[in-house]
Amino acid sequence: MKNRKVLVVEDSRLIHKMYEVMLRPCAIVAAHDGREGLAKLAENTDVDVIILDINMPHMSGLEFLAEVKGNQVVASIPVIIVSTEGKETDVQRGLAAGAIAYLKKPFQREELLKIISRIETTPTST
Amino acid sequence: MSDASIPTGEAAGRGNDPLATLWRAKQLIREAQAAIDEASHSVVAQRTSAEIPVSELRLAQSENEKAELTTRLAQVEHQVGRLMTLYVATYQLHATLDPLDVQTTIADITVNMLGAEQFALLLRDEEEKTYEIRLQEGEMPPPWTKSARYTGGDPLIDASLADGMLRFGPTEDSPVLVAVPLRVQDVTVGALVILKLFEHKGRLEEDDRDLLDLLGAHAASALFASRVYSRAARKLRTLEGLIKLVKKG
Repeated sequence: MKNRKVLVVEDSRLIHKMYEVMLRPCAIVAAHDGREGLAKLAENTDVDVIILDINMPHMSGLEFLAEVKGNQVVASIPVIIVSTEGKETDVQRGLAAGAIAYLKKPFQREELLKIISRIETTPTST
Repeated sequence: MSDASIPTGEAAGRGNDPLATLWRAKQLIREAQAAIDEASHSVVAQRTSAEIPVSELRLAQSENEKAELTTRLAQVEHQVGRLMTLYVATYQLHATLDPLDVQTTIADITVNMLGAEQFALLLRDEEEKTYEIRLQEGEMPPPWTKSARYTGGDPLIDASLADGMLRFGPTEDSPVLVAVPLRVQDVTVGALVILKLFEHKGRLEEDDRDLLDLLGAHAASALFASRVYSRAARKLRTLEGLIKLVKKG
């Protein structure tokens, strides 16, 4: 995997550690809720991909996603939702909000890497 | 010179006419060349027909090897992912000495890595000789909702607490999916009881067994160590307070 910069918006420290290990050698920017995620994104507009949880305190993943898609500077950054919310309606809601993929927890490392490599091979619109 | 002027073999053989001999030699060379060409074509044809199956065989072998390597690579990738999960779970369980943080990590592992929707964490209360329900996640069915303690009654959980063995359900008399005994130095100090998985998780897989075993050993020792540490830290603070009082007095 390429040396990408990944913003992880997730309230579980365990899962943060998991991404840190799974996504080496990517640079990880960590945020523990949607609000912190927006602040970190403002400081790091050059992130290549955002990995987003749904259920978080202060600001949920979907609220965060709406803010991101409403901001032209960062709207084109691909967002992958990774959540325990696994109903079809949850998936559709996430994709309709602008996520490029929806992964249900627990997930396999290969599944996440496959999605990220798909992003790497897809030309980004400017 | 036309062929009509070429002496016949008989004529050539009869006399010592050098021209006729030359012509005869030329004819023989032509015949020999034709024979060589024919033989050469035959050999090439034979070689090609023999080499094609060999090449095809090699190609098929290479394709098989490629498929085998792809499968092995996928298996290795899967193993790497599994080991990473186990490493992260172990790391995070022992990354803190705060009992509440350890409990949060156990809950995180159970939800995010095992896909449990309903579960409870039981810890033995040495004074009461019962099990305190330290953690409940999801909408638990009765009798879990009514009590802060587990006093026995579920045969699967009771058996696991008694002999320290991991048990899978549900059974006729227990709705529990899995009871994971938490053991410290061969003593069962509690159990993690999973009652329901997320719908998309479906069922526990072979890989989950490793994570359940890990929880059985590491969750208990992490909890035990953090509780001992917090008790010691509390006593230390009390002693320091007393010493300050004595010094003031």
